[in-house]
Amino acid sequence: MQFELKNVSKIYETGQESITYGAKDVNLTIKEGDFMALVGPSGSGKTTLLNLIAGLLIPSKGEILHKGEDITHMSLEERTKHRLDYMGFVFQDYQLLPVLTAYENVEFPLQLKKIEKNEIKERVMWALEQVGLSQLKDRFPKQLSGGQQQRVSIARAIACRPSLILADEPTANLDSKTSQEIIDLFKKLNSEHNLTFIFSTHDQRLIDQVKTVLYIKDGQISEVKEHS
Amino acid sequence: MSYLRFLLKFGYRNIWREPKRALIMIFSLSFGTAYILWVLNFAEAGSKEVMKEFLSQYAGSYQFTHIDYYPEGNTKRYNSFATIHEDDIPQEQKINSIPRVVAPVFISGHKKTLGVLLNGTSPEKELSLSKLATSVKKGRFLDPHKTNEILIGQSLANKIDAQIGDLVALIGQAQDGSVANDLFEVVGLIDFGGGDLEDALSFTTLESAQLFFSMDSLEYHQYINFDMERSPPEATSDKLKVTTWHQLLPEISVSIRFIDGFTKTVCLVIVVVISLGLSNTLMISFFERQKEFEALNIIGANRWWILGTLIVEVFILGTIALILGLILGHIFTIINYHYPINLELFTDGKPMYLGGMLIHPYVKIFPIVKHYWQVSLLIYLFLIISMIYPSFKIMSRGKNAI
Repeated sequence: MQFELKNVSKIYETGQESITYGAKDVNLTIKEGDFMALVGPSGSGKTTLLNLIAGLLIPSKGEILHKGEDITHMSLEERTKHRLDYMGFVFQDYQLLPVLTAYENVEFPLQLKKIEKNEIKERVMWALEQVGLSQLKDRFPKQLSGGQQQRVSIARAIACRPSLILADEPTANLDSKTSQEIIDLFKKLNSEHNLTFIFSTHDQRLIDQVKTVLYIKDGQISEVKEHS
Repeated sequence: MSYLRFLLKFGYRNIWREPKRALIMIFSLSFGTAYILWVLNFAEAGSKEVMKEFLSQYAGSYQFTHIDYYPEGNTKRYNSFATIHEDDIPQEQKINSIPRVVAPVFISGHKKTLGVLLNGTSPEKELSLSKLATSVKKGRFLDPHKTNEILIGQSLANKIDAQIGDLVALIGQAQDGSVANDLFEVVGLIDFGGGDLEDALSFTTLESAQLFFSMDSLEYHQYINFDMERSPPEATSDKLKVTTWHQLLPEISVSIRFIDGFTKTVCLVIVVVISLGLSNTLMISFFERQKEFEALNIIGANRWWILGTLIVEVFILGTIALILGLILGHIFTIINYHYPINLELFTDGKPMYLGGMLIHPYVKIFPIVKHYWQVSLLIYLFLIISMIYPSFKIMSRGKNAI
């Protein structure tokens, strides 16, 4: 068992005596190798749920356990370290550092972890090979297409060999052909390396190809659908 | 090492994300640095040069006297009975030094009698060590082989009505308590550019003065050192006292200190103004990248790491600007060393006087090593000041979200 959310709620105060639930009594277990999509209309609470799992938001109620430890009790810096050690992130708008090459962008979290130089090189090349960009490693983000930038972002997320990869609308900025390539890449990484993914998405192609779909409505998991 | 190199590389490249902004920041900082360095060099070297010029005309850098020569430390009064002997002065202090007999006398010309300070000195030594001879504008300087010759100020000569070749009568008090009086021939008129000194000073040979005051040939009032670079020594015996030009000319010393303090205050104000400007630019630059910082934080960079990269950026930028600024400031200083600044540019072409003496208007500026590290510390200090507010904003940011 990797991550476990127990009765997690996130309440936003939206005015005097008025509250909104970003998440409401969510119970969720994320196991190794899960390939999961959070689906729902805008404002349903998908991103809040991702933020809670990442430790970027503290729940108003409930606990979030990883390896038996409640991450909600960690300090801000401890949660940042926890993300670095156990999580990878893929963003809708890639969030690559423009001053760093593809290689250096992938290298970035490994440098934060102060990993030994040779191991960094090995891991970066492995990650770039997985996303098929080892030939373009010296290019800066502006010299890459949107799809290539997203691949670099994925390589950065997997380079640390995280327990969990959180992806927020990873195909939203891509054309349909590139989106499919990225989805195929996620599937390959999940099946070949047993990497765990949680997506927040509106993309039906991605929804159709994940193993588990969690439908979110008003901060609650309204339906769980397993794909065979 | 790899981590540090990565951090430096990241910081350096971030500086050049906005090349125009980076260049403007570097150049403004460089010119500020160069200006501060030049102003400090100008203020200190300039005043040093002016004082050197001024002191070399007459007063010297410091002097040995008998401890009671200036009663109660008042350097405007003289106890002519308090004398020193040649053997009292340490040998090494005799280098670049001139012994003088200096005591008040009355001088009478055709018209009137006035009080004046008679200086008995060695013409040869004055010629080699001081610029006293250059102040003789009419007539000639003292002849070492002749006695009872006297130089008086142009202004004094007019007042007592004495011209070159005239005999003037001097009356004073000799060392044995008797009245000293004798006739002296005016051989030259001193022009200090007007002012009090032209009224107050007269010069004769050391031998003539010693004879006049009934002193031994190795007995003096003052032993004046003209080595402007040498620090004043401690008095070597209970009988001796060392008096610096600062004590002899307190009004001028205070003026110099005021100019020095004012210059440093102006530099500090410049530093604060540049700091505020730089701080504002850094704030804009940092806030433009706020989304990027948030993404970095999500990936796993904590706030200290983000702050660290910003500090590295600012210090790389500051160091580049500092090096350029120091080079530029040094070049300006060297230019003014070879092409001295004409102080008359600041006085509408009118001559400048200091303590009643005409100042040579061309000031040679030279590099002063301590200013280079002082300016460097100052620049780093204001980089720190300019970082405070942006850093505070970054560190006080709330929780981040995807």
